[in-house]
Amino acid sequence: MAEKRFKNPKYYTNRELSWILFNHRVLNEARDKNIPLFERLKFLGITASNLDEFFMVRVASLKDMISANYDKTDIAGMTPARQLKEVQVAIHKFVDLQYSTLNRSLVPQLEKKGVHAIKYHEMLTEEEAAYVDRYFSEYVYPVLTPMAVDSSRPFPLIRNRSLNIGAMVKRNKSDEEWEFAMVQVPSVLARVVELPSEGKMRKVIRLEEIIERNIQKLFLSYHIVCAHPFRIMRNADMTIEEDEAEDLLIEIEKQLKQRQRGDVIRLEVEDGMDKRLLRFIQGELQIGDEDTYEIDGPLDLTALTKLYGLDGFDYLKEPKYVPQQSTDLPAGCDIFEQIRGGDILLHHPYQTFSPVVEFVRQASRDPKVLAIKQTLYRVSGNSPIIASLAQAAENGKQVTVLVELKARFDEENNIGWARMLEKAGCHVIYGLVGLKTHSKITLVVRKEEDGIRRYVHLGTGNYNDATAKIYTDVGVLTCSELFGDDATAVFNMLSGYSEPLGWNKLALAPLWLKDKFLHLIAREKQHAQEGHPARIIAKMNSLCDGDIIAALYEASAAGVQIDLIVRGICCLKVGIPGVSEHITVRSIVGNFLEHSRIFYFENNGQYEIYCGSADWMPRNLERRVEILFPVDRQEIKEELLHILENQLRDNVKASILQKDGSYIKPDKRGKHLFNSQVAFCEEAVEKAKALMEESPLNTRTFQPEYHQE
Amino acid sequence: MSVKTFAAIDVGSYELCMKIFELSGKNKMKEIDCIKQSLDLGSGTYATGKISNEKMDELCRVLKEFAAIKDAYKADTYKAYATSAFREAENSVIILDQIKQRTGIQVGVLSNSEQRFLTYKSIASKGEAFRKVIEGKTAIVDIGGGSIQLSLFDKDTLVSTQNLRIGVLRIMEMMQHVNFKRAQAEGLIDELVTAQLSTYKKLYLKDQEIENIIIADDYLSPWAVKSVKTGRLQSVVKLSETEELMQILRTNSNTYIANAMEITEEKVPLVLISAVMTRRIASLMGAEYIWAPGVTLCDGITYEYAEQINMFRGEHDFEEDIVACAINISKRYMGSKKRSETLENITTTIFDSMKKVHGLGEREKLYLRLAAILHDCGKYISLVNIGETSYNIIMATEIIGLSHVERAIVANIVRYNHSNFDYFTQEGTTELNKEYYLIVAKLTAILRLANSLDRSHNQKLKGIKAKLKENELILQADTSADITLEKGFFEATEEFFVEVFSVTPVLMQHKRF
Repeated sequence: MAEKRFKNPKYYTNRELSWILFNHRVLNEARDKNIPLFERLKFLGITASNLDEFFMVRVASLKDMISANYDKTDIAGMTPARQLKEVQVAIHKFVDLQYSTLNRSLVPQLEKKGVHAIKYHEMLTEEEAAYVDRYFSEYVYPVLTPMAVDSSRPFPLIRNRSLNIGAMVKRNKSDEEWEFAMVQVPSVLARVVELPSEGKMRKVIRLEEIIERNIQKLFLSYHIVCAHPFRIMRNADMTIEEDEAEDLLIEIEKQLKQRQRGDVIRLEVEDGMDKRLLRFIQGELQIGDEDTYEIDGPLDLTALTKLYGLDGFDYLKEPKYVPQQSTDLPAGCDIFEQIRGGDILLHHPYQTFSPVVEFVRQASRDPKVLAIKQTLYRVSGNSPIIASLAQAAENGKQVTVLVELKARFDEENNIGWARMLEKAGCHVIYGLVGLKTHSKITLVVRKEEDGIRRYVHLGTGNYNDATAKIYTDVGVLTCSELFGDDATAVFNMLSGYSEPLGWNKLALAPLWLKDKFLHLIAREKQHAQEGHPARIIAKMNSLCDGDIIAALYEASAAGVQIDLIVRGICCLKVGIPGVSEHITVRSIVGNFLEHSRIFYFENNGQYEIYCGSADWMPRNLERRVEILFPVDRQEIKEELLHILENQLRDNVKASILQKDGSYIKPDKRGKHLFNSQVAFCEEAVEKAKALMEESPLNTRTFQPEYHQE
Repeated sequence: MSVKTFAAIDVGSYELCMKIFELSGKNKMKEIDCIKQSLDLGSGTYATGKISNEKMDELCRVLKEFAAIKDAYKADTYKAYATSAFREAENSVIILDQIKQRTGIQVGVLSNSEQRFLTYKSIASKGEAFRKVIEGKTAIVDIGGGSIQLSLFDKDTLVSTQNLRIGVLRIMEMMQHVNFKRAQAEGLIDELVTAQLSTYKKLYLKDQEIENIIIADDYLSPWAVKSVKTGRLQSVVKLSETEELMQILRTNSNTYIANAMEITEEKVPLVLISAVMTRRIASLMGAEYIWAPGVTLCDGITYEYAEQINMFRGEHDFEEDIVACAINISKRYMGSKKRSETLENITTTIFDSMKKVHGLGEREKLYLRLAAILHDCGKYISLVNIGETSYNIIMATEIIGLSHVERAIVANIVRYNHSNFDYFTQEGTTELNKEYYLIVAKLTAILRLANSLDRSHNQKLKGIKAKLKENELILQADTSADITLEKGFFEATEEFFVEVFSVTPVLMQHKRF
C-alpha cells in the first residue's frame, strides 16, 4: 500500500472535470485550422456525441447519487453535489465554445468553400420555399405524428435524444389561453436537406426548419403562436439487479425499453424560445435552468458526423488511409503455419484487421480444429467473425462464445447476435453475474500430428472489424504452450468452472490484475532506490484508479521516470514537488482514436512490456474481467517500445498536461513536426511495399507435369 | 508417433474434476485442460448414507458438460472414478446407472486402497522430486473427504499403509454437531483426530522417526502449489514454517482468509482442518519437512492408464510396493519370512512354466505372490483353523493397490490352500464371479503344489526348476536332502492340480554329492 501522504485529495483531479478537458482536446481538433474542413466538422460532431454519452452516464449517475443523499467524496475530495455544480458550469462553457466554433469558424469556412447553410426557413427564396414545401408533403408529412396537449391528453413521452419541435397554439387567434403541441423530428430522414441550386454554391437546410415552416399543416384547426426545436437527454445508467433477474437476457431487454423513460437530465432549446413555452416544457419535464441549454445554432451536432458523408467534398477531407497487409501474415497465407513460426504482432488500424477475421474463418473450416472460444464485447453489424463462429458450430466444432450483454449502449445489438449464435449450435455465455467481461481473447484448439496445439489471439481492442479501422489497437497471435494453458483456463473460468491453481503468463482482473500492476510499479521504485535505472511508460485511455496513482506518486518520489500517454481522463497531477516531479502526461487526439493499452517497465535493464484490455480505472481493475499479457518475443517488444517512443515524440497531435491541470500543445518553434499516427501509417505502407517487392509476381506460374518412366 | 488423448474424470466427494491429457512416448503425460466444479457429495452422504436426488441431478448436469468437452477434444478413451461418497452411499448402484443413462459416462467406484494407490502413483509421477524425498524415511499423508491414508516409506520401499476414518469432510460434519467458538476450532479438530492417531502410532509407528511428509489433499495443496508457482513458498517447507499459515488461519475471518489464499469462502474450514491435521501428524511422527506436490486423482488415473496401454513405464516399481506391503502384513502376524520367500519362489517358477496352460498374466502372478507371502498369517490367531483365520485377516487388512475383488481373490487362494475347495455354483452366494473363481482355482492349485514341496518348512527344494512337457509338469529339484515328506504331500495335492490343469506334476530329484 502506498504511503498515506500520496492519497491526499489535493493531489488528484476530479474525473468528470478531467473528462471535460478531454472533450476540449477533441474540440481543439475542430478548431485547428491546419485540419481539412470536413474533418473539423466531424470532430465537432464527435464532441457532441461524447457529451451526450457523458450526460446519460456520468451526469446521470451524479444526479442519482445526490438524490440518494450519497455524499462520500471522490478521489479529489469533492462531494457529488459539488462535482455536479462544477460540471454544469464547465459544460455550459464548453457548449458555448462548441457553437462559437461552429458559427464563427466552421460555417463561414463552409460558405467560403461553396456550401451555404440556410439558418432559418424565413431566409428561403420563393423557389427554394416551394421546393421545401414539396419535399415536406412528399417525404416528411407522412412520417410525422403531431401531438397536442390539453386537459384530456397528457404530456407525451418524449424519446431520449430525440429532436422535437414544440409549439404554442391557440384554438382561436384571439384566445388568451394557449396550448402546447409538439412533433418529433423524424430520425429516419436525413437531418440536412440539399436544395437545388444553380451555380457553384450548394445550399442546405435543416429538416427541423422545413417542419417549422410547414407546422401549420400539422395543426389545421389551431393558430400557431410560435414553434421552436428542443431536445432532451435522459438518465441511462442502469444498474441491473442480477440476483433478482431470472434471465439476464429478458432483464436487459426490459431495461432497454425503460431507457426511454429515465429521468430527464438535460434540455436543449433554441436560443430565443418563447419564455412561456420554455417554462412549460421545463415544468413538464421537471428540469431547472442549470440543466437547460439555450443554444445559438442547430441542436444536436451529432448530425455533423453524418454530414461528413456528403458527396463531392473529398478535397476537404483527409485522404482515406487503407490499412496495410501485415508482413508476417501476407494475404492468402496459412495463418496457423505463420503463427508456428513465431509470435506475431498486429498494429491496427495501420495494419489490417483482416488476419484476425481470417484467423477465426480459417479455424471454422479447418478439419483439424476441435474448438474455438472467443469473448465478444462489441461487434460490428454484420460481423464476419460472428458468421465464422456460426459456421464453425455448424461444421461440428465446439464453439464457446462469451457475449457481453452489458456492453453499454450495445445491448440491443449483442442480444441479436447471441440468439443467432445459439441457433447455430454455439455454446453462448451471457457474461458473468456482477462483472463485465471486457477482455479480448480468442482460443483455437487444433489437433495436429504431434498432439493438441492451441492458438491464441490476445488484443487490446474489440473484435470489431468496423472500429478496427478507426481505433488504434495492438494484438498478438501466439501458439506458445504457456499462453495456451492460460487461455484454456480463462475460458474454463468464464464457463463457471473453478479457477486454475496459477497463471503462467496472464494476469486477470478483477482478481489479480491490480496487484500485478502495483507489484510492477513497486519493483521500479525499488530499482530506483537501489540506484538502478527505473522507468515506466504507460499508454492507456484513462487513468483514475487511486491506488495506482498513489503507487505512481510513490515511485516518482523515489526517482522513477514515468511517462504516461493517456488519451482521456487523467486524475493524476504532474509537477507536485516531492510527489510527481518525475511524471509526464500527454494525450494524443488524432484522426484515429488512441485505444491500445501498452505498459513498459524498465526492470533494471531487463525491460518488460505488457498489453491488455484494461485501463487504470477502478471499473477495469475491480469490476471487469480483463486480461493483461506480457510480450515475450524480442522483435515484438522492440516494435511496441517503438510505438511508445513515437508517441512520446509526437508534437502535432499530443497535448501535454501542465502543473495547473490544463493541457497545452508542445512548443513547435524550431522543431521538426512529428505526427505519430502519420508516421505509423507511413511505416506500415513502407513495410507492405517491401513485402510486395520481395515476392515478385512471376512466382505465380503453372507447374507442368511430365510423364516419368 | 502416436498421440493419445485421454480424459480422466474424478467424481470426488467435494469436487468434480476432469483433466484432459495427451499421452505420447515423447512427452509422457501432458495436461491439456483441467476443469473443476465444486459439488459437495460427501457431507450429505456421510450423514444420511445416501446421495440425494438433487445432488444427482447436479452431478449429471456437470458430467454431461464434461462429456461434451471430452468429445470436443476427441478423446480416445476416458476413465471416470468415484470415491468415498459413492463407496459409502447405499444407493450408489442406482445413481451410477442413472449417470450412465443420462450422460453416457460409465463411472467406476474405487475402493479405498485402489484410490490411495492411484494418489500414490500420481505422486510418484513427479519423478526425480519424489525419489529424492523418499530416500529418507517418509510418510505419505493422503487426506480425503471421508478418510485419510498414512503410508510409510523406508529407503524407497513402502513399509506400511493404514486408513483412518478422519477425513476432512467427516470431521467438518462431526463439528457441526458441536457448539464452539472460532478460537476453539483448532483444539477441537486436534482432539477429534488425536484419539485415532495415537492408536496408529502405537501399532505402526512405534519408535520410528519419520523425516519427511508428503501431503496429498484437495484443500491445502492447491494453495501450496499456487504459492510455489508465484515464488512465495519453497516446494518443500519446514514444519516450523507452517506456523505462519496457522497464525493466519487462527486469527482471521473466513472472508479474509478466502481472499488471502485465493479460495472460496466455504473452503476455508476445510483448509483449516487439513492444516491442523497435517501439523498434528507431522509432529506425531517427528517429521521435519513437508512437501505438497499438489497431485490429483486424475493424474493417478491417467498415469495408470498410460502404464496399462504401455505408453510408458514409470521408474518406480509399484508392484514391489504391493509385495512389500504384503510382507509387512505377514511380519505383523509372525509369518515366516524364509518360508514365504521359498513359497513365492516355487509358485512363480511353476506359474511361469505353465503360462501356456493357465493363460494368466502379470496381475494374476502378483495375486499368487501375495497369497504365497500371506499364506500363513492366520496362524497368529489359531493354529487349527489357519485357512479361515488367514482369510479373515486378509479381508480385513488393506493391501494398497488392490481392489476389493482382488483382495478377495488373494484371500480365497490362501483359504483354499488350507481348506477344501468350494466349487462354483450358479446359486452360490460368493463374492466372486465365474471369471474370478477360475483364477482362484488355478492359483490355488499352484499354491497347494508349491506348499507341498516345502512341507517341512526347511526350504529343501529352494532351487527347483520347472518344465512343461506335453501333459506333464516336470519339477526338478537339485538337493541332496531327504524329500520323502515332500514327495508324500506332493502326491496328495497332485489330484487337484490335475483336475484344474489336466497336467500331471512330476517331482524329480537330482541328488548332488
